[in-house]
Amino acid sequence: MIKLNELTKVYRTDEIESTALNAVSFEISKGEFVSVMGPSGCGKSTLLNILGMLDKPESGSYQFLGEEVAHLNEKKRSEIRKKNIGFIFQNFNLIDELTVFENIEIPLLYNNVPASERKQRVNELLEKIGIAHRASHFPQQLSGGQQQRVAVARALITKPPLILADEPTGNLDSSHGNEVMELMCELNEAGTTIVMVTHSSHDASYSGRIINLLDGQVVSEKKNKLVQPAI
Amino acid sequence: MIKNYIKVAFRSLNKNKIYAIINILGLALGLTVTILVFLFVKDETSYEKHWSGYERIYRTGIKADLMGQKMNAPVSPSPMANAFRTEFTDVETATRIRTVNQEIMVSHEETKVYIQKGVYADSTFFKVFDYEFVHGDAMTALNEDNAIVLTEESANKLFGDKNALGGVVRYDDRRDYIVKGIVKEPKGHAHFQFDMFMANNNIRNVWMSNNNYTYVKLKEGADFNSFQAEMRRNFMKKIEPDVERFMKITVEEFLAQGNAFEYQLMPVKDIHLHSKQDWEIAQNGNIMYIYVFMGIAILVILIAGINFMNLSTARSGKRAKEVGVRKVTGASRKMLIVQFLTESVIQSFIALFLAFILVELFLPGFNNIMETNISLFNDHLGTTIVFALIVTIIYGLFAGSYPAFFLSAFQPIAVLKGDLTKTKGGTLLRKGLVITQFTASTILIIGMIIIFNQISYMHNKDIGFSGEQVIVVPLQTDAMTQNFRNYKDIFLKNPKVESVTRASYYPGDTPNQNQFVMEGSEEQLPLWNMEVDYDYFKTMGIELVEGRKFEREKESDSIVYCILNETAVKSFNIENAVGKRIGDINPNGDVRYGTIIGIVKDFHIEGFNQPIRPMILSINNNVWFASFKISSDDMNATISYIEEEWNKLEPSHPFRYTFLDQKFGALIKQQENFGTMFLFLTILAIIISAMGLYGLASYTAAQKTKEIGIRKVLGASVPRIMTMLTKDFIKLVLVANIFAWPITYLLAKNWLSNFSYQIDMPVLPYIFATLLALLIALITVSFQAYQAAVSDPVSALKYE
Repeated sequence: MIKLNELTKVYRTDEIESTALNAVSFEISKGEFVSVMGPSGCGKSTLLNILGMLDKPESGSYQFLGEEVAHLNEKKRSEIRKKNIGFIFQNFNLIDELTVFENIEIPLLYNNVPASERKQRVNELLEKIGIAHRASHFPQQLSGGQQQRVAVARALITKPPLILADEPTGNLDSSHGNEVMELMCELNEAGTTIVMVTHSSHDASYSGRIINLLDGQVVSEKKNKLVQPAI
Repeated sequence: MIKNYIKVAFRSLNKNKIYAIINILGLALGLTVTILVFLFVKDETSYEKHWSGYERIYRTGIKADLMGQKMNAPVSPSPMANAFRTEFTDVETATRIRTVNQEIMVSHEETKVYIQKGVYADSTFFKVFDYEFVHGDAMTALNEDNAIVLTEESANKLFGDKNALGGVVRYDDRRDYIVKGIVKEPKGHAHFQFDMFMANNNIRNVWMSNNNYTYVKLKEGADFNSFQAEMRRNFMKKIEPDVERFMKITVEEFLAQGNAFEYQLMPVKDIHLHSKQDWEIAQNGNIMYIYVFMGIAILVILIAGINFMNLSTARSGKRAKEVGVRKVTGASRKMLIVQFLTESVIQSFIALFLAFILVELFLPGFNNIMETNISLFNDHLGTTIVFALIVTIIYGLFAGSYPAFFLSAFQPIAVLKGDLTKTKGGTLLRKGLVITQFTASTILIIGMIIIFNQISYMHNKDIGFSGEQVIVVPLQTDAMTQNFRNYKDIFLKNPKVESVTRASYYPGDTPNQNQFVMEGSEEQLPLWNMEVDYDYFKTMGIELVEGRKFEREKESDSIVYCILNETAVKSFNIENAVGKRIGDINPNGDVRYGTIIGIVKDFHIEGFNQPIRPMILSINNNVWFASFKISSDDMNATISYIEEEWNKLEPSHPFRYTFLDQKFGALIKQQENFGTMFLFLTILAIIISAMGLYGLASYTAAQKTKEIGIRKVLGASVPRIMTMLTKDFIKLVLVANIFAWPITYLLAKNWLSNFSYQIDMPVLPYIFATLLALLIALITVSFQAYQAAVSDPVSALKYE
């Protein structure tokens, strides 16, 4: 599904040039659950942004579903993104002015899904993640765990083949964190590919493979024994 | 999708109430001003447009320079209209009118009423000005010499419910007219408003006496320029014999002496806004007010628009996350731009709705101040709504475009990671906008002060006479006029009546201008000519400079005695005037000489937009306006006394009076009204500006919460922090003043040039306005700054 080859990203300000990713190469197959780990500043988030086509690499190749996307323009990237990728963030990033239902609905709006179908799909998903009773609440009225579940639901609503998660449990206590991780596992079992950036080895233990980054380079990769990736 | 935008827009407004109030109320006020100005301009430019073929109707006038005295007047001689009708192929028809400058008592059987505006008109009047006839025939109504046409209102006053057509109207107990027509009030405004039309088809074949107003209606397709040229050629020939008889020189010689004389045509539709001449039928409007008010409307809308842009970008941090999320979930930049534009248009429409309510609330006050009669719900409501919608949409798109492009350009990764809760971008533009805003406000403040300086100058200027406690009473009968001098003692018996006199004109009127000549000289002197009775200068408080006043015991009835004003002596270099003889040239060229016995100090008779003219006052018994100077205590009783005595002397006509100071005050009333309206609009503009600044300051303070926290932890005092927060705004206000000063200087100079008597350009208003702008900025900003400065540093730091 994802194939990176010699991918490099450099950040420049007036005075400093810093290499966030240095010739990173790896592949992720469909249905995998991969964790990316490493210390602060190692390039994890940059990698995730490039994978999510929110950012462009400096050089190297990025093939997504067999198509070279590294240097596509914003419009094309946006097209691919909205059809194939769901995002989950550490700080949830729900829109405060919209209800739970409306937040989950947004991606469908941008994909021009008709209203009746939107309603049906959002309600189904709300049932599934267990917050149907909160549908008309605003984000501030929910607990952190609930907010993150809404964010997960929003990422899932378009049934994207790939979910990118950036420290999804970072702002949650451990019990809420586990709930979210279990939700992710269920998704993975249902066939969704997941790439998750995390600090937490506990969270990483849910995934099938761990990629370790240091100073913008892949330093190690290991298969996780505990959980088998879905086929 | 749009539904989602609208939902977000409303919820976002609801969450940020202060922001919403500033934006929407500011814009609502801006739109209110714009709609009011639109209605005003629409009303002011609607004059004469209800006459059919109004584009082809012209009023004639003369433009002359006689002995260095410039004259611009819409008047014309008696035979002109007939000449137009008979000698010009381009003319469809022409009409001539002569106005009556005082109210007229008319009666029918036992009913006596005063009619305010009477006019003598020839038979073609209603062919040029197509009043709607309720009864009678417009084409023939004024054909006969005893014909009179009444407006419905006048007919109603005289005849009640009876049909007035064919009825007899007795004019001032002198002659009878037969009602030949009843007309409706015209549907629109005109530069005249008449209540009664009396037929006058007699032509006095004198071209040099201009006592009429002539209107000519051209045929369709006629070329104006060639017509005007033809008219000048033709009429300059007509005037020749008169000039020769009257001035004893040929037209060529007359022009060769440095004089100028030309007939003019003015489109009737331009009269209201563009004609500011002597002897206008009524006071016209002023195009300057339209420009000024339109300018203010644009400034106010600009100020409100800047508020919107500033606040939207300043609080962009709050929307950044939303932009990020929407982008990540598939929104393109275009979609986001559409979303933010939708939001600004929605706010604009809420504002528009409020604006219509505010317009309806403000209109009575506006009408009161501007002496207009504008209503929102008139025939033009559709146009007004379309105009307001267009302004609203343009505003929404214009004000919304910058924030829309600004916000939609955010990089989702950055904002979603929370790196960009405050955005540096747009700071410079924001500063530029605040400067623009304060420049606009400062221009208005300085302008307002200068306008009020000029108005107060006109109020306090020595006008050369004292109109206080002087009442003017028109004489109505010949008998009263002939015997008035003998009746004076009756009034003076009351010790509170200080003096009694008569004059043909009073300040507030425009006297006739006649040609005079000094004995032994050929030069013709155009002088304003007033006839007065004894005690005129005493009653009016006019000071004598040289010679003596009119004194009955020193004068013989067979000699004409005259007094000049200082301007006459100065303008025509008359040396040792007292004792010399000056002659009045009548239309057949005869001169009647009188003796100059004195010179009086100049006094104003017209408003301050006209210079004082050379003037001659002569003693005469045949004068129709009496005036009484009365003591200030118990004036009502004194007036009652005068009324009682007057009614005994002239029982046929009910007693009427006006206060002289009110009559003269009416001349600057228009300027005062303008000043008052300017004041209100300026205050509105300042309020909107201050609201925007308040909003901006609050966001700046919010952005700097962390910095303030750190500084406080490190020991900064509250005043230090307040200084830090206010300093930048003060700088902007000062820069704005640098722009505002020269702009205002030019505008004010232009405005002041409207007045013949004007204040020197003062410096103080500029300094005062700068201080006021600083004060307003300081108060608004420091309120926010104080709150930020006293906040708890711990919570500020945790917040990050």
